Amino acid sequence: MAQIMKVRPTKIELVKLKRRLKLSQRVQKIVKDRLSILTMEFLQAARDTVTAKQRTLTAMSEAYKAMTVASGYHGYVALQKELVACEADITVSAGPRSVAGIRLPSLELNEPSGGLRGYNLTQTSSIVDSASDTSREALRAIIELAELQRGLELLGAEINRTKRITNALEYIVIPSLQVTIRFLSMKFEERDREEKARLKRVKVLLARKEQ
Amino acid sequence: MIPHPASEVTDSVYDKLLHGWLAGELRLVNKGLPRERRSLDELLLQERPAIRCTDGSEQPVKRNELRLLSDLLEEKERKSLLLPILIEMTGDETEAVVLCRSDIELKVLTSILGMRLNYERPGRVRIYRPQLALLRSKLRTTTQYAFSSSMRND
Repeated sequence: MAQIMKVRPTKIELVKLKRRLKLSQRVQKIVKDRLSILTMEFLQAARDTVTAKQRTLTAMSEAYKAMTVASGYHGYVALQKELVACEADITVSAGPRSVAGIRLPSLELNEPSGGLRGYNLTQTSSIVDSASDTSREALRAIIELAELQRGLELLGAEINRTKRITNALEYIVIPSLQVTIRFLSMKFEERDREEKARLKRVKVLLARKEQ
Repeated sequence: MIPHPASEVTDSVYDKLLHGWLAGELRLVNKGLPRERRSLDELLLQERPAIRCTDGSEQPVKRNELRLLSDLLEEKERKSLLLPILIEMTGDETEAVVLCRSDIELKVLTSILGMRLNYERPGRVRIYRPQLALLRSKLRTTTQYAFSSSMRND
């Protein structure tokens, strides 16, 4: 049950409380809306994570298969000799993206410009090209999965925090303000009634004196 | 009720705390709003496309989303489409409003959602939550939520 707050029973205090109640109700509306947005994003992220995980597994298995076929066709040493020249650092663009006030990671693989593969195309077959393509696809899938999984964790934590705020507003702050406002209003009404009764009594006494 | 002698001091601290916390919540929800919107054409030309937010941070925009949008539009329209597209939350938990400055945004929405949409009022297109989820899943970095002041005033 909501508790009456310890306040001075004055009209100024009542006005203050009413203002505070209005502000709390407005914020509750926004926080509730934010919670529903975060939940929607969370569910979407969960669905996307499942898809991304499946895609990653498929891409990885295809990449391994393609590499196995390529090394079987060219020979492991020859393939390694060819590929060692095209080793390059993988760069990923990272930054935060904001969703209803929460910062989620945004990752994107930087594609090499010009579409050059780096190895000698005349010395290698299309099997190596296919292995290269599937490996890049696997890399893209891993990065997407990493982004989604971290986002999912952050969204979950934020949903918990927002839920606590919504509950605090809904079950503690707003009810206690409402109860206190009702209590003060009743107190002032009671005071008015007492005042009226007193005035009536004085009026009767004065009338009696005059008689 | 007899007021506690220290109630005035305690209450004022409590009041300040509550106000600070509530104001913080309001600031938080609109933290990611863009300081300035950029055209699709401009973003496509950048090496690392990003949009500056009101809190000073830079939000990266995904190239594949820009490519998707550029495929949907014609050359001339790319210059007029300003990103991110703003989605206004109306306080109603089932609906959202997409702010469309021109017909280009409406064209993008129609193509992505795969259904015909109409203006609710000039510059405003109302969509429902399932459509919003679909839109956000396709345009994660090129759309942004805005919690409107009109909602706060009702």
